[in-house]
Amino acid sequence: MPIVEARGLTKVFRRPDKGPGLAGAVRHLFARRFTDKVAVDHVDLSIEAGEAVAYVGPNGAGKSTTVKLLSGILVPTAGDVRIDGLHPQRDRTTVAHRIGVLFGQRTQLWWDLPVSESLAVLRDIYGVDHATYRKRMARFDEVLELGEILPVVGRKLSLGQRMRADLAAALVHGPQVVYLDEPTIGLDLAVKDRVREFFRSIRDEGTTVMLTSHDLADIEGFCRRLVIIDQGRIIFDGDLEAVKDKFARERILHVETAAPVPLETLRTSLPGAKVEAEDTPTRYAVRFDRFAMTAGQAVTTLAGLTELVDFRVDEPSIEDVIRRVYSGELVLG
Amino acid sequence: MRSYRALIRATAKAALAYRFSLLLGLGAVLVQLVALLAVWRVILAESTVNGFTWPQMRAYLLVAFAAGTVVSLLGDFRMAFRILDGDVALDLVKPIDYQKARFAEAVGGLWIELILIGVVVGATLALTGGVDTPAAPALALFVTSMLLLVPLKFLIVYVSTLTCFWTQNYMGVQWARLAVVNLLSGALIPLAYLPGWLAAVAQWSPFAGLTSTPALIFLGRVDGRHALQLVAVQLGWVVVLWFGARLVWRAGLRRLTVNGG
Repeated sequence: MPIVEARGLTKVFRRPDKGPGLAGAVRHLFARRFTDKVAVDHVDLSIEAGEAVAYVGPNGAGKSTTVKLLSGILVPTAGDVRIDGLHPQRDRTTVAHRIGVLFGQRTQLWWDLPVSESLAVLRDIYGVDHATYRKRMARFDEVLELGEILPVVGRKLSLGQRMRADLAAALVHGPQVVYLDEPTIGLDLAVKDRVREFFRSIRDEGTTVMLTSHDLADIEGFCRRLVIIDQGRIIFDGDLEAVKDKFARERILHVETAAPVPLETLRTSLPGAKVEAEDTPTRYAVRFDRFAMTAGQAVTTLAGLTELVDFRVDEPSIEDVIRRVYSGELVLG
Repeated sequence: MRSYRALIRATAKAALAYRFSLLLGLGAVLVQLVALLAVWRVILAESTVNGFTWPQMRAYLLVAFAAGTVVSLLGDFRMAFRILDGDVALDLVKPIDYQKARFAEAVGGLWIELILIGVVVGATLALTGGVDTPAAPALALFVTSMLLLVPLKFLIVYVSTLTCFWTQNYMGVQWARLAVVNLLSGALIPLAYLPGWLAAVAQWSPFAGLTSTPALIFLGRVDGRHALQLVAVQLGWVVVLWFGARLVWRAGLRRLTVNGG
């Protein structure tokens, strides 16, 4: 049985439709008009225990709204959510013990208390016994290096410190399902790496993770499943690697030769690839389909023609694929 | 219970972080107390007005100060901010009751308020002379009334803060609440000084329990059955508001549209 299940999940926000300026505001007092905005539109989603799912989409696509619906924060306009068979609103307390939520832009730490105190309050709120709590904290400390930030008061934390502390706060109770909404937003690379390593460690322990992110580097090497949402609808739900195989087949081989070579020579020796000159006369870019030709074959062929000084292979990231999906260039599934 | 105890402890500790803003806030309340004392002293120097003598009025003002300081310093702004900002979302995924949790926080801030009350009342008594304490039964009723004041005041502040789900602004709500409470609770002037019909309305409103009821009992201006009746009204409002607040909270939740992509 899936641990997270959504059927026909729909959320419609009603926004007051005011005309411009004071006149519009006054008119709104007498004749209220509203526009409905469908934030999430008949989303079906089921996540098995232990899965790591990437949930991506452009700004305003409905990602955070879905997370709020799945965690019981928002009441759906239509449709149904089950967490481990339970109803997140009706069984709010029971469900709260099973889920952990991190909103990268929000904090659940107490502004005026040291991080250690905030975490201790959460420990008591969730009724975690002290031995388990200590063990968990020790483990969080290994990856997140919590030790140095435990005595710091909430409002004095840097963004990176705050996010590390908030991650610990979201996982104090050892939830079965964790929603991470933009967990690396605004972090520098070193902290991002550490946080990503932490994600992998909780996934490896069998925690179900749903990760929402703009930074697609967060999901590469972490999630096997990719769900793309656009304008409230799921437009793709499938295997991340399969998407890459299918839509990110192109490789670009950048070569630098000892002496200039006529483009025509290169093109005739590499049929099936596109060869272009780059900024200097001895640099070329070779584009090819990795299922038609391997990078090794391309390099060997070129090395037979001329002396190669340097070469590098670029593979498109999942980011390129998804950017193309967003822009409507690519239709998946 | 462990979770609410933890919240009480946490707020009790966090209250210390506010000690400077508390002292500043205290300054404002003190100025008001001193001004009221000075004004009434002049008014009541020659004769009693509406049956209040100067020592009685002094005792009234001190009780009013104590009642005004309890559950006044912390909590509501944080709660309002979390609702307006959408951080309340994170409170919703906690396995605890929202209303009880906020009440626990109000209780956690009490100790610092009690210290302030002790210092100010002590200093005033030392400077202006003592007050008559009522006899044991009335004193017990006074203490009961002061204890009921804690949940009563919490609930009035709590319900008014919940309106942030609709208003998108807290300052206005807070000012409106303070204006109504100051007038109808008897914090500004004893209810006996209000026009008859307004005094009657105020007496049965939840606000009388915030100042007038404990002050009148302390002064011995209401006796036996009448005093019991006033305390019963206080208790009644605590019960009504406790469950009423849950309805408001539920309506607010329906209204909730947390911002963000």
